[in-house]
Amino acid sequence: MDRRTFLKIAGTGSLSIAAGCTSEAEKTLFSLVQAPDDMVTGKAAWYASTCRECPAGCGILAKNREGRIIKIEGNPLHPINKGKLCIRGQSALQRIYHPDRIKTPLLKDKDSWRPLSFSKAIQLLKEKTLAASKKGPNRIRMLTEVVGESLLSLFSKSLHKWQSAGPLVFEPYAYESLKRANKEVFGLEGLVSYNMEDADLLISCGADFLETWLSPVEYARKFKVMHALKSGQKNLFFHVSPYQSLTGANADLWMSCHPGGETAIVLGLIKEALRDGKGQHLPESVRLSLARAVAAYTSTRIAGLSGIRTEHYKTLVYRLMDSRKPLILGSGSGSADANALQTNIAANLLNLILDPDLTLLDFANRHRVETAASRSQVLNFFQALEKDSVDLLLINNSNPVFAFPPENRLKDALQNGSVFVVSFSNFMDETSRLADLIFPMGLPLETWDEYEGKSGIGSTLQPAMGRLNETPNIGDVFLESAFEIDLSENNFKTYLFAHFMRKGIIGDEKGWVQTVRQGGTFSPTASDRPDRSVPDSAADLLHSISKPLDKELVFTAAPSIRFFDGRGANLPWLCEIPDPLTKIAWQTPLLMHPKTLASHKLNHGDVANIRSKWGSVEAPVYEYEGLHPNVMVMSIGQGHGSYGRYAENVGLNPVQLLSPKPEPLSGGPRFAVHPVSIHNTGLSMAMAHTDGSRIQHGRKIALSVSPDALKHGKPHKKHGLTMHDFPFTLPLPEGYDPKRDFYPPHDHDTYRWGMVVDLDKCIGCAACTAACYAENNLGVVGLKQMIEGREMAWLRVERYHDPVRMEKIMFLPMLCQHCDNAPCESVCPVYAPHHSKEGLNNQIYNRCIGTRFCSQNCPYKVRRFNWFDSQWPAPLHLQLNPDVTVRSKGVMEKCSFCVQRIKQAHGIAKNEKRMILDGEVVPACVQTCPTGVFTFGNLMDKTSRARQMVEDPRRYQVMGYLNTKPAVIYLKKVVQDI
Amino acid sequence: MEILITSLSLATVLVLAVIIGTGGKPMVFVTSLGETVSLLAKNKVPLFWSGLCVLLVLGFLYFFYVPAATRIGPEQPIPFSHRVHAGVKAIQCRFCHPYVGRSIHPGLPPVEKCLYCHEYIIANHPWIQKEHEYFNTQTPTPWKKVFYLPEHVLFNHQRHIKKEIQCLECHGQVETMDRLPGKRFEMGFCIECHKEKEANIGCWLACHN
Repeated sequence: MDRRTFLKIAGTGSLSIAAGCTSEAEKTLFSLVQAPDDMVTGKAAWYASTCRECPAGCGILAKNREGRIIKIEGNPLHPINKGKLCIRGQSALQRIYHPDRIKTPLLKDKDSWRPLSFSKAIQLLKEKTLAASKKGPNRIRMLTEVVGESLLSLFSKSLHKWQSAGPLVFEPYAYESLKRANKEVFGLEGLVSYNMEDADLLISCGADFLETWLSPVEYARKFKVMHALKSGQKNLFFHVSPYQSLTGANADLWMSCHPGGETAIVLGLIKEALRDGKGQHLPESVRLSLARAVAAYTSTRIAGLSGIRTEHYKTLVYRLMDSRKPLILGSGSGSADANALQTNIAANLLNLILDPDLTLLDFANRHRVETAASRSQVLNFFQALEKDSVDLLLINNSNPVFAFPPENRLKDALQNGSVFVVSFSNFMDETSRLADLIFPMGLPLETWDEYEGKSGIGSTLQPAMGRLNETPNIGDVFLESAFEIDLSENNFKTYLFAHFMRKGIIGDEKGWVQTVRQGGTFSPTASDRPDRSVPDSAADLLHSISKPLDKELVFTAAPSIRFFDGRGANLPWLCEIPDPLTKIAWQTPLLMHPKTLASHKLNHGDVANIRSKWGSVEAPVYEYEGLHPNVMVMSIGQGHGSYGRYAENVGLNPVQLLSPKPEPLSGGPRFAVHPVSIHNTGLSMAMAHTDGSRIQHGRKIALSVSPDALKHGKPHKKHGLTMHDFPFTLPLPEGYDPKRDFYPPHDHDTYRWGMVVDLDKCIGCAACTAACYAENNLGVVGLKQMIEGREMAWLRVERYHDPVRMEKIMFLPMLCQHCDNAPCESVCPVYAPHHSKEGLNNQIYNRCIGTRFCSQNCPYKVRRFNWFDSQWPAPLHLQLNPDVTVRSKGVMEKCSFCVQRIKQAHGIAKNEKRMILDGEVVPACVQTCPTGVFTFGNLMDKTSRARQMVEDPRRYQVMGYLNTKPAVIYLKKVVQDI
Repeated sequence: MEILITSLSLATVLVLAVIIGTGGKPMVFVTSLGETVSLLAKNKVPLFWSGLCVLLVLGFLYFFYVPAATRIGPEQPIPFSHRVHAGVKAIQCRFCHPYVGRSIHPGLPPVEKCLYCHEYIIANHPWIQKEHEYFNTQTPTPWKKVFYLPEHVLFNHQRHIKKEIQCLECHGQVETMDRLPGKRFEMGFCIECHKEKEANIGCWLACHN
């Protein structure tokens, strides 16, 4: 380059730099074309709807800001969940904004997918249905998920129009054995609900009612009412099962038994009850046949047969005979394994014997999932496709290919060339991939619908946001393609209106508006058990009980609280939040008992190959004490071959090992398989643990107390400065002690926010964590970063095993303690953690330079560092809460006590010229907790609920002996020694 | 930013001048100062050209940044004049920004609202025609943002209105301006007023989120 050229380049360069830079990036503000009545920019509008993540049907409120939903909360008016929501419900909104959602219909064109317009797809549907119905009757079949009554009737009518039989309702957990048991004993083939809150003793033979069973939010609430501390006492809950699930971990005592051994135990209890003179109200014949069936079950035989420890069985008998209102629940979600039907029949009979009026069973308000067909019916449905020369198969939002063991050959049934398969689904899941046409539908938060989770209540769904795509309502598609209805005049919404009018739920337009506004009509029908006599045959099945598996290794697939049957596996929050029991995210470990591990020369983290007759899987093993030594457990839900970027090839699918044959008596699926062989592959795997340790190492983190110790409270000890006698100190100016405080007290005026966490109520379900992810724009880091320990959760639920009895577990929600004497504040070189007037420990993001000193100095390890800029692939970013800053790379972040909600309450209070009322500020975790663990409030106000709870003798501060003076005050868990 | 650009440009020019002046051996300038001075005298012509370059750059920067005309703010999709609407016609701020007293956002007028009047007033003006086109094609108007706050700050309009802070205290006399100039609010501006009025100055409780 010569000098002249250099000069030219340098000159133009500097000039273009000067000209090209403006002082700030321009941003665009879009004005609306027409302003909707109910949208005020900057203010949230709430729409009542119904959650459709599982068949429970909880009521929800969708928070809409500027036309998009940013958060889902429970609907306080709804009788099922009363304002609370589980981890899956909280995550439901990621489904709408999922980056892999299918936006237009896709038609299979040899090996590729050809996008179609919606009108063309409907046209195609019309042609196909017309052609099929012309050929003859029953040429069209339909499989649907559990839907509301109105939609189901529309499907039936449409199929009838096409000269075909009505749809088959498919649900992977269809409770076949429980339904059959209810039919045998109560003469009702349905799923009754349980008034668990009124019981004084609860025995579950595997029913995982805190995770997936029937209606988890409802039963979590009812369970904690039943299990609450009342006048120094708690009612008891026993869990009898080979596997201690999350539900089992919340029991007062988990009693291990052989797989299939539960039946013998319940039969033994029946025998004891009859011997005790109970059940006199039963007809003589029933009583006698029952007595015959249980005659052989002596306590020694039961111990031998079921593997339960004799003292455990004695405790069961003693407590059961001692209780006034016991409730016995049968087997777990959907399971129809060894003796599940007999267990459920026995449990029903035992309930009947102990409570003649069955007041704890609600026959009127039954769970909607009872409409689901049994597994064997669904299997026959698929097997008949070819035989009956079906032309068109419609699948509504179900993924049977994933749910059924591969040996069932559903793939072949769907790929059989003659049947045209239409999958109404928003995702490219295993079933949709095999379909000929994928027709994406409006999701529950986008369309009109109705779904009554329990019979007797009406629960509505309404569009709660602006549309991201043109996906129509499935009701509209059927109205148009089956009945040629002009949708501009009559659509599914008017159909729903007519349905509600016909049912007498509403009287007029006004009633409709009111119903939609509050999310439904909630007047549960009073429980009236029709006087049904118990058939003599009720006890017949109890004679044929298969022998519990006491020697063989058994592999069990367990329903997952996070993924349910697998439908949640594509939602990043559900993958990122670790499993409550194992604290492992993004992976599917195989749970094995330490003894079994040792006998197979395996170590925690080794990859083992498990092989059954039907398939094999290679999984990392996880040492878990809450298991019968012969049982290995893997949770259902992950290991999708196709389901979007967050689910594909993530984790493992245990279903591939299961037997394809449904259990013959009830027609339900078998989730356990034996024999299985296991061998070490010689590999090991890094697991994405979020827990530092299984035990507390004596550091006084999660504490418990026995009811006796509570009652006779130890005399006031002299305080010192050691771990054992450090005084409880409120984070208030009066907590200042010149002898142990280096810094002067903070002067809080009027407010000092604090939280009381009642460990006795915590079930470890992690709904709070999901709510926090949604509210505070927390980033999802993925498996690789998770293994590095870089998760971003502001609130985590810690799980601690008892070092002496490792199967005993405690949960502790851990969030920023907003210490009055915060270790993070004093080490920051730039003063980024700042103590506010109201006691909040603020992290000033734009001041933070990322030294991470604060995180090092925080004894609670609640500070999270942004190693990368978090990614929200479009349109997932539309979920972000506009009231909360999105943190960038290099910045520390942590729980803010939902300061945006505190500020909002401040604004309202100032506008109304008053103080913030107690209970007015509700952080996201507090709002969603199904069991009401958290109480948030002003500690300066002596009348506030939080402050009054602080007076509880169970109060303590986690590691308060470090003189941090936390504002999160825990109440010890009350543990009863049985 | 301006300062940075100016200093960068000047530094470039200076380096060039030194290189040219020393005939490609800039270290001579340092090693023998006396010689350098005489060299400078010898190289009047290159020095003249370098000086001219400096002047040109400075002149450009002056005309680019300093005159009022460059500070009239970004060009909007429709040349809406606050002077005409808020000044001449004396339309209340809240007619177009209705949520200012009840939400954190003041609200922007929907296209529909502009047409309440402009159906009748200068309905055939080309810019109003453009507005009609926005309405007919259901397109939101892409206004350029002029009042800029960093993302980590959440300003609550409602609270300020309730405290009877006038719009002009932050936004200036918009009724005298056609196009609104860009304004970047900085922390000092907020703090000063908050201190004066004894308002909340807690980091999170007041502004940051």
